[in-house]
Amino acid sequence: MKLWGSGLVNGLRISMRNMRRGPITLQYPFEKLELPERARWTVVPLSDAQGVPVCTACGTCVKTCPDHVLALDVTTNEDRSKHINHFSYQLGACMMCGLCVEACPFSAIAMSHDYELARVDPDTLEYDLITDTPAYKPKREKPATPDAPAQPASASEGDAS
Amino acid sequence: MNPILVACLRVLAGLGLMLLNGVVLIYMLRKVLGHLHVRLGPMNVGWHGTVQTVADVLKLLTKEDPTPRAVDKALYFLAPAVVFIPSLAAYAALPFSKTWAMADLATGLLFTFGIMSLVPLGILMAGWSSANKWSLLGGMRAVGQQIAYEVPLLLSALPVVLMVGSLNLNDIVAAQDKLWFFIPQFPALLLFVVASLVELNQTPFDMSEAESELVAGFSSEYASMKFGLLFLSEFSNLFIMAGLTVTLFFGGWSLPFIPAQIQAGFAPIVFVAKTYLVIFFFMWIRGTFPRVRVDQLQQLGWKVLLPANLAWLLVTGVAVKLVEAVAR
Amino acid sequence: MTQDPNLTAPVGAAVSEGAYVPAQLPVGLRRVPSGVDEVTTEHLVVNFGPQHPSTHGVLRMIIEADGEEVVGAEMSIGYLHRGIEKLAEHRRYNALGTLMDRGDYTSGIHGELAAAMVTEKLLEIEVPEKAHWIRSLMGEVNRIASHLVWYGTFGLDAGAMGQFLYAVRDREDLLDILEAVSGSRMMFNYVRPGGVLADLPAGIDQKLRAFVDIFDVHIEEHDQLLGGNEIFQSRVHGVGVIDKQTAIGFGLTGANLRASGVGFDVRRDRPYAAYEKLDFTVPMATEGDCWARYAVRMEEMRQSVRMIRQCLDGMPEGDFTAKVPKVLRPPAGEAYAAVESPRGEWGVHLVSDGSDTPYRLRYRPPALYALQVVEAIMPGSLIADAIVTAGSVDLVLGEIDR
Repeated sequence: MKLWGSGLVNGLRISMRNMRRGPITLQYPFEKLELPERARWTVVPLSDAQGVPVCTACGTCVKTCPDHVLALDVTTNEDRSKHINHFSYQLGACMMCGLCVEACPFSAIAMSHDYELARVDPDTLEYDLITDTPAYKPKREKPATPDAPAQPASASEGDAS
Repeated sequence: MNPILVACLRVLAGLGLMLLNGVVLIYMLRKVLGHLHVRLGPMNVGWHGTVQTVADVLKLLTKEDPTPRAVDKALYFLAPAVVFIPSLAAYAALPFSKTWAMADLATGLLFTFGIMSLVPLGILMAGWSSANKWSLLGGMRAVGQQIAYEVPLLLSALPVVLMVGSLNLNDIVAAQDKLWFFIPQFPALLLFVVASLVELNQTPFDMSEAESELVAGFSSEYASMKFGLLFLSEFSNLFIMAGLTVTLFFGGWSLPFIPAQIQAGFAPIVFVAKTYLVIFFFMWIRGTFPRVRVDQLQQLGWKVLLPANLAWLLVTGVAVKLVEAVAR
Repeated sequence: MTQDPNLTAPVGAAVSEGAYVPAQLPVGLRRVPSGVDEVTTEHLVVNFGPQHPSTHGVLRMIIEADGEEVVGAEMSIGYLHRGIEKLAEHRRYNALGTLMDRGDYTSGIHGELAAAMVTEKLLEIEVPEKAHWIRSLMGEVNRIASHLVWYGTFGLDAGAMGQFLYAVRDREDLLDILEAVSGSRMMFNYVRPGGVLADLPAGIDQKLRAFVDIFDVHIEEHDQLLGGNEIFQSRVHGVGVIDKQTAIGFGLTGANLRASGVGFDVRRDRPYAAYEKLDFTVPMATEGDCWARYAVRMEEMRQSVRMIRQCLDGMPEGDFTAKVPKVLRPPAGEAYAAVESPRGEWGVHLVSDGSDTPYRLRYRPPALYALQVVEAIMPGSLIADAIVTAGSVDLVLGEIDR
């Protein structure tokens, strides 16, 4: 049987020990942590060496996205090549699950490490990842997955269920 | 000099001291709690956040002061003043040094306790008039605990009075020039600290504010400087209680082994430093302990503290008489 | 109510000990007429929440108080309802984890794991050995993180503050580890049907070992800081007693059930992932009060540390995921899979109609059952006790409200 009150004294001792260990605070805007490699934040389009976005407008990501935050507006030219009018992204609704990046058969998008996402203007929460760019010519003739046919966004959003 | 002018100056000095103390103590609380909790506390306003409290006071002063529609207006507006004035008046008797006291009263100790016991009245007024269930519960708790602990608090100071034979705080300090009373009166010190923690609504007895139960207790409905006054008086009470602890048990403004002439120069500094050390201890407790339950608090007061106080008073009385007999 | 602590109570067996009689358990707002004890006092009906410092989210407790005593209580839930189960009907199978994360947001791995297991059951996917071990490892890491939140907020409910910050400090390290492994701090989306998203990253082994070495010291500190404190002990001993009958009758699981003297742990009694191969004990207590729940959870954290060490030592080589098609279309049918989440048995019941999205998904939120018990045992206690009782059963409103 311990003396009543010894626990209280011990508690004071422990909090003093923790005080002497020093603060762990990171003063955020002035100091920043390095994110681990796998950290998932905003979706960004990737480009090839020439700076051309490598998106082929296959629409796999649009179909995969659980929250329908990605949308593709594509026109198909006469020679069956595609032109991306808008590849839009609703940052405000994105939950950064990374499923679109996993699904992309051409590694055309990635999860960036940009975590400072506060916006002053709510309109800027939705923006285009790619605007008015011809779709990249895929190296392979056929997409890797069977269910990634080239489809405009309007058609793919409806059949997600 | 005109005695009225002197009195006015003394009141002003007390007011200034209280405000300054409040600002410093709030900053100290934030820093101490921050570091105890492996954080930093305020860092950005001024060097290490030193001006943060000043900024907060300015914010409180300039804030809109909304009054809930259902409050009892007279009491609602009176309550902060009723809480604030006693904690201001209680500074009067604190001896910062042999000569530095706003009023050198023959019954200084009694005066301080008496005036401090007005605080729960204001808290009850605040809780009652706010027309808020949480406030009401908080106010009732505050009154219940503070009335219950008046008795142990007074009784735990009595052994010291017995040893000194005076209620004058300067006499009490002077009697400790050989031996600080916390050595012979250690049980009384413990009892006094517990009872004063209750009187101060400090953790582990912060029933009337009990954040996890009553949101903010009696001060829930107060905003702007009315809240500021309630807040300020809390910290000023903290200083007074810590100052009393120092005066009664830690030799007040005196230091051992140093001749009185040298001490006189920096006695107020010594007193304030000692007081702040005691306050640091209170804050240390605040950062560590959980809260006692309402019924446990009352049981502790009536079933433990009161008998213990009486027993210790008896022991001290007998010892004092024995020492007197031996000396004679 | 004494029971051999090693005795396993298999499902169903415990209930057969005696048919549960819903005794005089006052559920809902029970109105006691004023003046029954010769004193006419007006009862105060107060709202705890939805915005209140100790509601663990957005729980609304309507408490009828006679002075400080609770005479009636009603839990009003649904303030965090997001329609997770309905949303799941429009999610592909490999995206179910994103929803489960948001159910119990302090232990996402367990939710994901249950969803993945139920999908695997329907598709009859064989999960590679390494994936099992990674799942167990991350599950235990997540369990400690979740228990630390509980530990901290339980102390906050009792009025202490230091332990919360110390617990969050330790949890921060765990979240860093979870982020390095899964890519996110809370919404992991890491456990997938067939395995896990990715192999453990390089260097995580040392990080975890370093953490558990420190945590061995810190857990004792945590235990002494709060559990060793006499004030805390007097606040929790004998408070909020849930006896065995009530616990079983209300369908309590997890640490709350084990604190009431019924030794049921999904990890041990219906093993999944790698738990069959791990050596751990299931802590038990028989008192059923807040102290018992506290003691059981603290011991569970120590056991989790043991399991993390075993997982790191015994991690097999091999694939981290089975070969699964990108779009899963399980055959029509239904299945149930359960995991031991930090709050209890987290089960997912899934009905498939053969398409790429579930026909119906329901999950069993263990904290919902705990909430109902709290509602039942609250009348008669003091307001302060009611807060502590609600804190002791570890409520997470995201999970309850769905």
